[in-house]
Amino acid sequence: MATDPLERAREEFLAALAEAGRDAARIEAVRVRFAGRRSGLLRDLEEALKTLPREAKPAYGKALNELKRLVEERLAAAHDGAAAGGPSRSLDVTLPGRRPVTGALHPVTLVRREIEEIFLRMGYSVADGPEVEDDWHNFGALNMPPDHPARDTQDTFFLAGGPLLRTHTSPVQIRSMETMPLPIRVIIPGRVYRRDSDLRHSPMFHQVEGLVVGEGVTFGNLKATLEAFVHVLFDPRLAVRFRPSFFPFTEPSAEVDITCVLCLGRGCPMCSGSGWIEILGAGMVDPRVLRACKIDPERASGFAFGCGLDRVALLKYRLPDLRLLFSGDERLLRQFEGAR
Amino acid sequence: MKFSVDWLRDHLDGTTPAGEIAERLTAVGMNVETRESNGDDEIWDVDVTTNRPDAMNHRGLAREAAAAGCGSLRPLAPNLVEGATPVGELAKLTVEDPVGCPRYCARVVRGLKVGPSPAWLAERLERCGVRSINNVVDATNYVLLDVGQPLHAFDLAFLAGREIRVRRARAGERITTLDGVERALNAGDLVIADAKRAVAMAGVMGAANSEIGAATTDVLIESAYFDPRSVRLTARRLGLKTEASHRFERGADRAMTRTAADLAAELIVRLAGGEIAAGVLDSNPELPAPREIAFSLSRLWAFTGCEVPREPALRALSALELAPRATGDVITCAVPSHRVDLELPEDLYEEVIRFFGYDNVPSALPAGEVTPGARLGTWPLTERGRDALAAAGMAEAFTYAFVSAEADAAASGSPLAERGAAAALANPLSARLAVMRRSLLAGLAEAAAGNLRRGAERVLLGEVGRVFFARPGAVVEEERLAVAVAGRLGAWDALRPAEFLDLKGVVEAVLAGLGVPACTWRAATVGVLAAGEGAEVVRDGRVIGVAGRLSDAAVAAFDVPSELWVAEIDLSAAGAAARVPAFEPLPRFPAVTADLTVRHKLALSYEQLVAAITAAAPPWLEGVVPVVRYQGEGVAPDEVKTTVRLTYRQAERSLTQDEVNAAHFALMDRLARELAVSFS
Repeated sequence: MATDPLERAREEFLAALAEAGRDAARIEAVRVRFAGRRSGLLRDLEEALKTLPREAKPAYGKALNELKRLVEERLAAAHDGAAAGGPSRSLDVTLPGRRPVTGALHPVTLVRREIEEIFLRMGYSVADGPEVEDDWHNFGALNMPPDHPARDTQDTFFLAGGPLLRTHTSPVQIRSMETMPLPIRVIIPGRVYRRDSDLRHSPMFHQVEGLVVGEGVTFGNLKATLEAFVHVLFDPRLAVRFRPSFFPFTEPSAEVDITCVLCLGRGCPMCSGSGWIEILGAGMVDPRVLRACKIDPERASGFAFGCGLDRVALLKYRLPDLRLLFSGDERLLRQFEGAR
Repeated sequence: MKFSVDWLRDHLDGTTPAGEIAERLTAVGMNVETRESNGDDEIWDVDVTTNRPDAMNHRGLAREAAAAGCGSLRPLAPNLVEGATPVGELAKLTVEDPVGCPRYCARVVRGLKVGPSPAWLAERLERCGVRSINNVVDATNYVLLDVGQPLHAFDLAFLAGREIRVRRARAGERITTLDGVERALNAGDLVIADAKRAVAMAGVMGAANSEIGAATTDVLIESAYFDPRSVRLTARRLGLKTEASHRFERGADRAMTRTAADLAAELIVRLAGGEIAAGVLDSNPELPAPREIAFSLSRLWAFTGCEVPREPALRALSALELAPRATGDVITCAVPSHRVDLELPEDLYEEVIRFFGYDNVPSALPAGEVTPGARLGTWPLTERGRDALAAAGMAEAFTYAFVSAEADAAASGSPLAERGAAAALANPLSARLAVMRRSLLAGLAEAAAGNLRRGAERVLLGEVGRVFFARPGAVVEEERLAVAVAGRLGAWDALRPAEFLDLKGVVEAVLAGLGVPACTWRAATVGVLAAGEGAEVVRDGRVIGVAGRLSDAAVAAFDVPSELWVAEIDLSAAGAAARVPAFEPLPRFPAVTADLTVRHKLALSYEQLVAAITAAAPPWLEGVVPVVRYQGEGVAPDEVKTTVRLTYRQAERSLTQDEVNAAHFALMDRLARELAVSFS
C-alpha cells in the first residue's frame, strides 16, 4: 500500500470504481465519495495543499491535478458505459447485426476467375471473341468442313441470314492464331450455345479453352500444363489420366480424367463407381488447323485444351443441376456471398 | 456401342482376362465405359469415337485389343459351299453411278426357309441392342456387328426383272421404307432400284416392296460401299439415322464388301438352308492402292517430348495392319482401307503414342520466355462491372441470352435497346428462346419475378452480359450491365419498401465502381419504365443508362407480383467515361457547416436548388449535401421542405464564424429573391 496520500487515494478510487461495475447508482456513490463538492476526498486533499511547506507545493499540486483529471475521465467513462448498457443491462450480443448487403458473384464467375488466375500466373492472356460467329471460325478452320459428321454432335443454333451462335469457344483460338504473333499463350473463357436442353445440358453454357502455339511445343508440355491446372484448381492429391480420344481440331487428341473429387477414387454415384471423372478434352493442334491460320506446322506446334466451366462449378460446389445456374434464384446465388 | 466379350474372343486368340482387355482398350482410346456380366458373357458399352468406324464392330475392336497386347487377331476365313448355278443367270447388276457407289457386291441364296433364329444368335444380337427379326435379317445384322459391313437382303422374287440398278432417284419418285413411312425422293438421292422402281435408299434403309417375309425363298444379299457424303446428305435430309447410315457416313471398309457378302451367305445357309449361287456379282473388284504415309521417328520424338522406343512402335503399327517399313529414321505405313481416319504423319504419331501410352509420356511444362498475361477484349470492362455489382450488394445472375419475342418487345423500349432489330434464331428450341435479347432486362425481370413469387422479401439482382442487334449485314454485340431491385430494404429492424432513390443509389455505386465520375440524371420517358418514374443517366452528353420503375405493361408481361425497380447501363459507354482517380490535396484548414431549410415548390428540382445555392454562395462554398426532405403536415401539397447542409471552407486560412454568418445570410436573401422560396 502506497504511503503517499495522493497515490493511496488513486488506488482506492480505481478499486471502488471497478467494484461498481456498470451500475449507475454505485458509480454515482463513488463520485460522491471522491469528487463530491462538499465532502469528497479530492476536496480534502486540496485543502491539505494549503498546509504544505512552500517548496513542496508545486510537486504536490501537479500530482493532485493529474489525479483530478484521472478521476474525472474515469467517472465520465463509467457513466457512459452504464448509460450504453442501460439500466437493465439489455445488450443482447446475439441479435443479428445491421449488416450492409454483401454482394455475390455467380459461381461460374468464381470458377472462371480461379482458372484464369492460374493461367495468368503462367503467362497466358485471357482472350475474347464474338458469340455470334461465322461458319469458318466455328467449324471450317477447325477441320470441320461442311457435312463433317462431327458437326452433328454440336447441334447448332443459326440466326436468320446465316451466322450462328458459337458452339464452343474454339473460334477464339482461330481468331487468336489469325491475329497474334507467336508464341501464343491464351486462355479463352466464354459463353457458348448448343441446341440441347435437359438435366445435364443447357442451351447456353460456358467453356474455357487454352491454346499454346510456338516452336517446339510438345505433348509432354500439354500433360504438365493440365496436371498443374487440375492440381491447383482442385487438389494436388488428384491423379490425372490421359486417354486417347478424337476431336477434329487436335491430333493426337486426349480426354483427361481426374480422380473423382467426391470419393477420391473409391467409387461413388457421381463417378458412376469408376473413381474417375472426365473433366477436359485436349490435344496437339491439328496441322490442318495451323495451316488454316497461316501458321506453318513445320515450324510451330501447339496444344489446346478445354473444359465446361459450368461443370467445374457443379463439381466444385456440389450443385445438383446445371439449370440451377441459369435460374436467377437468389436463394442459390446468395450462398456465394462474399466468395472470391 | 455395345460389345459382347464372348463375341470379341471369336476374333481374338489368347487368354487375356476380360478386365485386362477392358483396361488396355481404355488406355488406347477405346473407352470401356461400363461392364455388365451376362451369364458366362460380359457386355461392354464402349465409346468408339466418330473417326473410327473401323472399330464399331467386334472384329475391329478385337484388332485394337490385339495391338494393345491382348493376344492376336484370328484370320477371317469364310467357308462357303457354292451351288452349280452361276449367279449371273439368276440376277443382274448395273451400277449407273460409280461415284455414289464405288463398289457393289451381291450374292444370291435360293431355296431357303425363313424362320426364327437360333437362341445363340438372337441372344448375341439382343445383348448388343439389336432386336431379332428372322434368320435371314438376323444374319445380315450379325455380319454388321461382326465385321462392320452394313448389308441388305432383298426378296429376289420381288425384284422386277431380277435386277439391281444403283442410280440417282428420278423426279417425283416415292418410296415406302421399312419403317412404313412413305417418302418423297430428291433427284440427288442414291437409290437401289430394280427394273421398275426404287427398292432401297442406298446405305440408309430398304423398302417395304422387297422386304424379306415368311414366304421368301430366294434372297439377294447386298454388300456395298457407298460414298459417305451421299449417304449423309440423304440421311440428314430425311432425318433418318440407321445402323447402316451411321457407318457409311463415317466410312465403311471398301475391301470388306466381298468378304461380308460371303460371310452372310454362309451364315444364311447355315440358319435357313438353301443353296448359294456360284460366284458373286461385283461391280468393281479393283481396290485403290493403299495410301502411304511416312514419318520421321526423330520428329515424332520432338513432337512428343520423349524418345518413344522404336521396336514396340513398329509392333503396334503391324498389329494395326499398317505394314510399317523402317528405313533409317523414316517409317512408312500403308494404310488399309478400313482406316479412313489416317491421312497425315500426325495421325500416325497418335497411333504410336497411344500404344506407347499417353501416361508414359513424361510431363514437362513449356520452356521459353514467359511474358505477363493480360485480360484482353471486353474482359477488363465486364470484370469491373461484375465487381461493381457485387460491391453494391447485388447477387450476380446469369440469364439466357435468348428470350421470347414478346419478352424482347416488352423489355426493349429504351434508348439502349433500340439500336437495331432483334436477331431471331432460325431454329429455336422453343418460342420462349426465340430471339437474341436486346436488353438484359428481359431475363432479369423474369428472374426477379421468380424470386418474388417464391416469397423473397427482397430482390437485389444484377447481371453483366451481351445484347445483340441485327443490323444490315451483321449482328452487333454490345456489353450491358443491369440491376433489378424490389421488396423491402434496410436493416432488419428498419425495413422499408424499395423506392427510386434505392435504385439510384445502387446505380451510382455501380458507376463509381466502374470509375465513372458523377453523371447527370434527367427525367425521361422511357418505354420500358413507368411514366413519370424513369430517368436517363447522362455523361459527356451521352445516355449511358436508364433507371426507374418497370412499366405496368412490362410488369404484366413478366408476371412480376410487385413493383420492380430496374436499371440498365451501356458498359462500353460507361467504360469510355471512366477516369483514373487523381489525388486532390487534403484541406489544411477547418470547415464550417451550416444547415439551411428551404420550403419550395415540387417543380423546383433538387439539382436546380443546389445550382441556385451554388450560384448565390461565395466561391468558398465547398459542398452541399441533403439532410432531410419533408412533405406532409404544415407543407402545402405542391411544396416540399428540403434541408441541406452547406460546407464552407477557405483553402488558405481559417474562416471566422462572423464571415460565414454574413455569407450564409446573404445567400438566403438572394435565394428568397430569386427563387420563390422561404426558410421555415
